[in-house]
Amino acid sequence: MQSKLSDIELIEQTLAGNQSAYADLVKRHQRFVFTLAMRFAKGREDAEEIAQDCFIKAYRSLASFQGQSKFSTWLYSIVYTTAMTFLRKKRVATDSIDDQNTFIQVESRESGYDTNNIENKSRSFYLNQAIDQLLPDDATIITLFYKGEQSLEEIAQALGMETNTVKVKLFRARQRLKEKLEHNLKQEVKELI
Amino acid sequence: MNTIEEKLWNYIDGTCSPAEQEAIARLIEQDEAYAQKYQELLALNQEFAKMELDEPPMAFTYNVMETIRTENAMQPLKANIDKRIILGIAIFFAVTILALLTFTFANIHISGINISAADIKLPAGVKLPSTNSLFSGPVLKWFLIFDVVLALFLTDAYLRRKKTARQL
Repeated sequence: MQSKLSDIELIEQTLAGNQSAYADLVKRHQRFVFTLAMRFAKGREDAEEIAQDCFIKAYRSLASFQGQSKFSTWLYSIVYTTAMTFLRKKRVATDSIDDQNTFIQVESRESGYDTNNIENKSRSFYLNQAIDQLLPDDATIITLFYKGEQSLEEIAQALGMETNTVKVKLFRARQRLKEKLEHNLKQEVKELI
Repeated sequence: MNTIEEKLWNYIDGTCSPAEQEAIARLIEQDEAYAQKYQELLALNQEFAKMELDEPPMAFTYNVMETIRTENAMQPLKANIDKRIILGIAIFFAVTILALLTFTFANIHISGINISAADIKLPAGVKLPSTNSLFSGPVLKWFLIFDVVLALFLTDAYLRRKKTARQL
């Protein structure tokens, strides 16, 4: 059962020495942090490593959290920097965000799954598949906007960008996602025929 | 200049000004192309919002907390010791020394100003070793030289620390 206390109250308790309060914070944010890590790592093991690293970093610097922004915004900025460092280490090019021809080799999250049976797949499967094919920045912005309950200003703060830049990137990311979604669905239909 | 799609996304997100909002609403009402695109983007927006979050492994929270616990346990002992414990030990020694001094002074019988008249008696059966050979002339000299050098060294270190603190 998750705690009913607010993030700020849990942080105060953690700083007072109550470690179980931090466990509650982790439980509350772990799904979203893990999803964001998946946008960069594309593999569950690496994503787990990134997400775990983020929560440990957040714990270490919890005392420096001023409370001027939402805890989630602060945490997502840690996720972003940790994931970028991870990508740099893995030598994956992430700065060519405008290169529409760049495709990342995706480790399928459903490997071993019968991909020919279209009837067993929901629309959300195709959506997640299309998101996996996006560049990490695009996938992160889309996820933060639709699932992170973050405004454009908060996304900009988390990613260390200008609000207008985020707005433009979100627009482009949505266009690319739409294209990928349409492309994947067409492919499936062709395979069925 | 904004494309139709860009304008419509801004309208859906609510990120345009009230005047723009009003103008786009009018365009959707009057222009068939706008209305069609708007419906298409609205459906897409709803679909994007339905994306599912990935589920981390069951033991995720446990693993995070275990790592934190291990890290805390590996902290240097100096950082882990409660300052109150150190203070307690210091108070214990101070009180013990004070009690010993009080006891000693209470047992000294001073007559006039003749210190040699102090009458301190050791319990029967306790014999002190002879100190004559230990505190001979050269040993005492070296002991005093060592003390002077140590005092100079500590004073120098103290003054250097003070100077550095002032510069910062």
